[in-house]
Amino acid sequence: MSDSLEVLDVRKSYGKFVAVDGVSLRVPEGSIFGLLGPNGAGKTSTIRMIMDITPPDAGEVRLFGEARRPEHLRRVGYLPEERGLYRKMEVTEHLLFLGEIRGLKRREVLPRIAKWLERVELGAWAKAKVEELSKGMQQKVQLIGTVLHEPDLLLLDEPFSGLDPLNQELFKELLLEYRRQGKCVILSTHGMELAERMCDHIGLISHGRVVLAGELAAIKRQVGGNSYRLIAEGDLERLQTLPEVEQAVVQNGVVKLLLRPEAQGPEVLRQIVQFLRVQEFRSEEPELEQIFLKAVRDAA
Amino acid sequence: MRLETLFLIAKREYVQRIRSKGFWIATLILPLFVVAAAVLPSLLLSKSRSTQRVVVVDETGRLAPRLLEKSPEGGKRKMRDQVASFTYEVEPPGKDPEAQRAALDARVLAQEIDAWIWLGADVLEGKPVEYHAKTVSNVITQEVLRDNLSYVVRRERLAGAGLDPDRVGELSAQVELTTVRVSKEGSRTEGGLAGAAFAYVLFLLLYMVLVIWGQQVMQGVLEEKSSRIIEVVLSSVRPFELMMGKLVGICAVGLTQFGIWLATLATVSAPGVIASLAALPPEVKLPTVTFAMVVHFLLLFVLGFFVFSTFYAAIGAAFNNLQEAQQVAGVAVFFLVIPVFLMVRIINDPGSTFAVVASLIPLFTPLLMTLRISLEMPPLWQILLAYALTVGFVVGMVWVCARIYRIGILMYGKKPTFQELWKWIRYA
Repeated sequence: MSDSLEVLDVRKSYGKFVAVDGVSLRVPEGSIFGLLGPNGAGKTSTIRMIMDITPPDAGEVRLFGEARRPEHLRRVGYLPEERGLYRKMEVTEHLLFLGEIRGLKRREVLPRIAKWLERVELGAWAKAKVEELSKGMQQKVQLIGTVLHEPDLLLLDEPFSGLDPLNQELFKELLLEYRRQGKCVILSTHGMELAERMCDHIGLISHGRVVLAGELAAIKRQVGGNSYRLIAEGDLERLQTLPEVEQAVVQNGVVKLLLRPEAQGPEVLRQIVQFLRVQEFRSEEPELEQIFLKAVRDAA
Repeated sequence: MRLETLFLIAKREYVQRIRSKGFWIATLILPLFVVAAAVLPSLLLSKSRSTQRVVVVDETGRLAPRLLEKSPEGGKRKMRDQVASFTYEVEPPGKDPEAQRAALDARVLAQEIDAWIWLGADVLEGKPVEYHAKTVSNVITQEVLRDNLSYVVRRERLAGAGLDPDRVGELSAQVELTTVRVSKEGSRTEGGLAGAAFAYVLFLLLYMVLVIWGQQVMQGVLEEKSSRIIEVVLSSVRPFELMMGKLVGICAVGLTQFGIWLATLATVSAPGVIASLAALPPEVKLPTVTFAMVVHFLLLFVLGFFVFSTFYAAIGAAFNNLQEAQQVAGVAVFFLVIPVFLMVRIINDPGSTFAVVASLIPLFTPLLMTLRISLEMPPLWQILLAYALTVGFVVGMVWVCARIYRIGILMYGKKPTFQELWKWIRYA
């Protein structure tokens, strides 16, 4: 399987501030790729370099198996985190403009606009001005603008932030449709739960560096050997003091335990029962959030 | 740079703006405004003609009858004679001047009459005439009255000295100038004042389009930034294409507007048309706008637009809101206002070294060269040199401003300092 996107050791500094410090990523064709990391980790800077909005100080971006050329970018549908519309334009006219600057002809794009507006139930608003639309409607228009040129790669920066629940469903539906068609989606987000449900590949960025990347299932297997679910009563705080415990997160009475790689589960349980009344203790897949926290801490 | 992308951006700017009601209102209203500012005061003056009822008390006994038969000097009606006229009522001086004065004052207060004048016995020796009225700020009316009295008194003095007043009037008539403007297109009689007024109106119109559309560029850039559409567009369009597309599109809008105005001016000033305009007195002759002049004016507008609008685009990109940007936009207005101060000197002598040098400075060329061309066609080499210098300047402006624009357009939050802007320019 070839890669839709390859980022090779890309760097970017603004003055003394290093925003991206040598990021390399591979996004396989047909995958939903989660570009994850806390705010300010360098996700948006990386994406802007992928889209050639800002030039990298060093490194290379390859798209669809070739060194990036301007034509390649017309096969990408980009939804920036900071997104808006020309308020005074009519909806159809606005979408036509977005289509045309991506190289589409008026004749081919107008029927697509009509089709999309029907699909998202904005057919009656085709002639309305953008400023007359509600925020949720404007989000739909932005989404159409992103996919109008039928891109082979979707690059969505925090797509779900600020979306109302109905539009969230619409976006998710679209992502899954893309995957079914064998196209590729890159999703930048700091919402781990969402990424966990949707992504099959991830890249974790922290302080401008990739701290973990690969197939999500493989990552989980790799880290997962030492992840346990514990239900117990007693002084849960004491769990942190055990040398074998890497991480202990309490959530709704359930403790998510991540042990050090060399630690043995049964051995740790023997220690735990000495100060807790244990009801349940079993091995399980770690959550992305746990993996993420561990990776960031290990990197630091 | 991809031209078809630039064209798409320009088209959007043009269509959006030309379609708005505001554009057409401004296009129609502004010339009216300029013309009104130039014509209205004199028009108002001529319409607000006042007739004053004046009681004349004549101690000399000779002046009052003459005042009644007085006809305007040389038979030629002056403008201000149309403004004020008088109906005189002659009253002989009574035995008790104080009582008579009090009675006249009472009539003024009762609004029976507007004023009274007292011609003393020594008026012919040069003593002033008393004028009593409720208001004495009606300077034009007073001037007309003074002229009428002077005329009468002068004739009376001449007659007293044994001279024929009519003969003296003929011999001492003023010399008038008939101004003929010499140009390659042929000489034509035109009023000097009308020529200056034409240059002035054109100058003001150009000044306004440059300011208005420069500001529009700035607001357009700020709007793209604040509405967050910018990054969506930048994923398909290079910043330079976006900036130039916007400039070209808005320039075309300004050109449309300025073109409409020029066409109107050219039509109005064409021989024959002007004569049929009842509003203007027949002796006012406007200068003819030739095709070559129109081409120069349009070119100068385009050059002027790019000199200032590149700057407006850069500050629109660098700052976050109108308030921040407006402070710096003053710099552009400053350079646009300087020619306004130089204007009077240049109108008086458009071919002087001062005028030539000032009109060759790229920042002033658009306005001052327009002014010079509308007054008298400068030598071709001066026009071409001015164009070359301005084009060079514009290239430099575009280079600098595109750099500020490219970085500023994606910067949000803090207002950049001048050191930062300098860094953006130098940043490769």
